[in-house]
Amino acid sequence: MIAHMLRPQSAESPWREPVIMAVVAVVMITLPWILPYVGGYPELATRILIWGIFALGFDLLVGFTGYLSFGHAAFWGIGAYCAGFYLLHGGMNALPAIIIGVVAATAISVLLGYLALRRYGIYFAILTLAFAEMFYYAALAPLQDWTGGDNGLTGIPTPVLAGIPLKGEVIHYFVVACAFLAVYFARRIVRSPFGLMLRAIKSNETRLRFTGINVYRYKVAAFVISGLYSGLAGTLYAIYETYVPTESLHWVTSGKVVMMSVIGGLGTLFGPMVGAGVVLYLEDVLSASTEQWLLIQGLIFMAFVVFLPGGVMEGLHRILSWIAWRRTDLPEIEGRRQAREGAHGAAPLQQRSR
Amino acid sequence: MALLEASGVTKRFAGLTALDHVDLQVEEGSVHSIIGPNGAGKSTLLNVLTGSIRPDGGTILFDGQSLISRPPYEINQLGIARVFQSPEIFPELRLVDNVTIAALAARDGSFRLNALQHPRRRGEVRDLAEEVLADVGLKEYARFVAKHLSRGDKRRLELAICLAHRPRLLLLDEPTAGMSHAETHSTVELLKKISEMGMTKIIIEHDMDVVFTLSSRITVLHQGRVIADGAPEQIRGDEAVQEAYLGGAHL
Repeated sequence: MIAHMLRPQSAESPWREPVIMAVVAVVMITLPWILPYVGGYPELATRILIWGIFALGFDLLVGFTGYLSFGHAAFWGIGAYCAGFYLLHGGMNALPAIIIGVVAATAISVLLGYLALRRYGIYFAILTLAFAEMFYYAALAPLQDWTGGDNGLTGIPTPVLAGIPLKGEVIHYFVVACAFLAVYFARRIVRSPFGLMLRAIKSNETRLRFTGINVYRYKVAAFVISGLYSGLAGTLYAIYETYVPTESLHWVTSGKVVMMSVIGGLGTLFGPMVGAGVVLYLEDVLSASTEQWLLIQGLIFMAFVVFLPGGVMEGLHRILSWIAWRRTDLPEIEGRRQAREGAHGAAPLQQRSR
Repeated sequence: MALLEASGVTKRFAGLTALDHVDLQVEEGSVHSIIGPNGAGKSTLLNVLTGSIRPDGGTILFDGQSLISRPPYEINQLGIARVFQSPEIFPELRLVDNVTIAALAARDGSFRLNALQHPRRRGEVRDLAEEVLADVGLKEYARFVAKHLSRGDKRRLELAICLAHRPRLLLLDEPTAGMSHAETHSTVELLKKISEMGMTKIIIEHDMDVVFTLSSRITVLHQGRVIADGAPEQIRGDEAVQEAYLGGAHL
C-alpha cells in the first residue's frame, strides 16, 4: 500500500498540489488522442473518466474509510435513471438532469447509509447488496412504466448545455471538467481533518470511539459523499450514452467498480481511476478479439489480488523505489540501515521527510 | 465532592454477577488503584465507567453529571480518557497523525463536517500533537508509521493520544501488562510524570510494586464486591485482602 504517500504534510511545497492538478488536467484532456496509439478509440476516454469519477467516490468509502459496499450500483443507477427520465420527459437541458440525478442518488445514500452502517464487515456488504438489488428489480417490473422495464431508457435526445449539444469533443471536455473537480474535491477531502478521521476509522474504530469521536456520523457522511460521486457519474453516463440500460442498477455494476478500485489500488484516489481505465480498455480490446474475455478479465483480476494487492499504484511505487535504490550509492544505504536498526527495532521504512 | 462517584453499580452476565453493588469514590488529583484477583470484576468496572457496557443498576456521577447510558465518545468528551490493556492506536497512521486526531476531537467536538478545511489551518493542533509526543518521549519518531513501534512505545503513543485531550480523569487498564522489566520501569516513570501534571488516574494493575509505587488510594475487588478501600498502608495490612487476594500470603 502506498497510502502513506498521501498523508497530509504540514511543510510541503506550495507548488505540489497545483503541479499534480495540472498533470491531471493534461492527462484528462489529451486522453482521446493517446488512446488510439495503444489500440483504443477516442470515445473510450470519456467513458473512462465517467467510470473514473464513480471509482473515485467508491474509493473514498472503501479505500479510506474501510467499508466495502457491494451496492454502489444503486447510486450510479438512480443517478442515470433520474437524469435519463428528465431528458426524456422534462427537457433537453443537461444541468437540471444532472442536479436531479445527483440529488436523488444522494438522498437514497443517506437512507441506506443510516441503515447499513449499523453493521460491520460482511453484514454491511450484504445489506448494501440487498438494497441495490431491490432497486434493480423495482426498475425491471413494478416501475417499468417509468424505467422502460427490460429495455431500459432508450431514445434519450442529445442533451444541450448552454445551447451547445453535448456530443463528440464537447461532451469529452464537459466530462473532463466534472472529473477534474471531482479529483480536486476528493484530494481536499482526504487531506482535511475530516479525511484524517476517515482513515482513523479504517485503522482502529475502537480507539477513535474512545477518543471522543462520533464514528457513526463520520461513516454516514463518508457514505453520502461516496453516493454523491457515484450519482454524478451515473448522470454523466446517461448523458453520454443517451441510453440507460437495466445493468446500471445490477450488482454486476457494483462488482465492476470493486474490480476497478482493486486493480488500480485502493486508498490512493488516482489508483481506482487508473483501474477504471485498465478495466474498460481490457474489456474493449479483449471483447474485440475473443468471446471469452470475461474469463481473461477474471484471471487478470485474480493475478492482481494475489501478486499485487496494492494494484497498479503499488506496482508504480515499487518500480520508483527500485529506481531510487539503484541510484543510491553504498554509504547512504549503510546510513539507512543504521537508522533503521537504531530505532528500538522499529523500522522507519515508511518515514517521509518533511 | 469526589470527581467520580459510583454507587451501587451492578452488572450481571447470564447468571454471573460481575459487579455487585460496587461503590467507588475517586478524589480529584488522586491516583486510585483497583486491584483484585482474576475475574474480580476490574475490567468490567472500567468498561462500565467508559460506556462500553451498560450497568444493570447503580449510579455513576462524573463532576456531577451522570455517565449512565452515554456512549463512549460522549464520556470521553466529558473528560475521561482510557488506556487499554493491549495498546489501541492507529497502526497505519504516523505518530503525529495519531495524536492530531485526539487534538482535533478536543478542538472540534465529536463531529464536524470540515471536509474541505485546508491542512494549513491545522497549525495549532499539529503543534499540540508534537508537544504531547515530546512529553511522552516519542518526538523523534513523529513522522514514522505507528505499527513499527515496540510494545512499550505503542503504550507511550496511546498515552499521548489520551493526553492530547487534556482529560480530567485517565483510566489505565494494566498499563504494564506484557512489558519487559525496562519497559515497565520507563512506563512507571512516565506515569509519575503525568501525576505531577495533576491529572486524576484510575489504574488497574497486577504488578504490586507498580501499585504501591503510584497509588494514593486502593480499592480491592473480589468476586464483584468491594472488600477493602483505603490508603496503601491500610490495604497492605488488611487481612481480608490478603486472604482473598493471595490466599493468606503477605503482600
